[in-house]
Amino acid sequence: MTTAKKTLANGISEHEAIQRAQRGDAESFEALYGLHKRRVYSLCLRMTGNTAEAEDLTQEAFLQLYRKIATFRGESAFSTWLHRLAVNVVLMHLRKKGLPEVSLEETMEPQQEDGPKKDLGTRDNVLAGSIDRVNLERAVESLPPGYRIIFVLHDVEGYEHNEIAEMLGCSIGNSKSQLHKARMKLRDLLRQSRAEKAANRR
Amino acid sequence: MTCAEFQKVLPYIIEGGGSDEEQHHLETCPVCSDLVADLRYIAECAKLLVPMEDPSPRVWNGIQKALDREGLAKPARRNF
Repeated sequence: MTTAKKTLANGISEHEAIQRAQRGDAESFEALYGLHKRRVYSLCLRMTGNTAEAEDLTQEAFLQLYRKIATFRGESAFSTWLHRLAVNVVLMHLRKKGLPEVSLEETMEPQQEDGPKKDLGTRDNVLAGSIDRVNLERAVESLPPGYRIIFVLHDVEGYEHNEIAEMLGCSIGNSKSQLHKARMKLRDLLRQSRAEKAANRR
Repeated sequence: MTCAEFQKVLPYIIEGGGSDEEQHHLETCPVCSDLVADLRYIAECAKLLVPMEDPSPRVWNGIQKALDREGLAKPARRNF
């Protein structure tokens, strides 16, 4: 749905609301908040794994939106522009906390834990068809912060590796490597969860 | 090509590319093909994680207070 076609609760289009908000209209800004709050909050929650932090960051993202909305020129979709703003707010917060986003020492050489698997010669049931939303959400929440951020940005939010590399100040290779580790960790968690369920049924 | 060699480059080829040798290993090795199937399935399932929750009302309350404090918000225009 394009910006021009979205109609807000007060009957005006999103495009009109943006223009009015750019002129400082509080009601239009509130309408934009209503339209975008869920996605921004969801992003903050997935990247931090903490409800209170996510709410604080959502608040900060929309405050920054209010301060910067006059600079929105329409070169991208408004939702994309807002989304990037929110991602930057979260990343700045994580940097202040000193959380490792991406290991800057990451090289092409795999770490010991990511080396050849001991079960290379055996097969196990593939995951296809066995993942449900709840289990996947729980598994993502369990990821170490650095892995979770890359997974959320790439697989959930759809950013490309070159975009992630620019956001996080790492190389494209690092982004790919960390994403792979995130997915491998999720695979382990989901297989474990499936095994536990099967054991409980007995 | 061994599984170890294939899995070493997998992060960089899983979304496309890879040499003929790597592609051949993927097509002929059941362990690595299962691994790749799982990883791609996880990536696909991630798209199901659509936003489901709204933030609590305190978020908007906080935004309003901050805007009032900074003197940023102007009264809504009424087109009557």
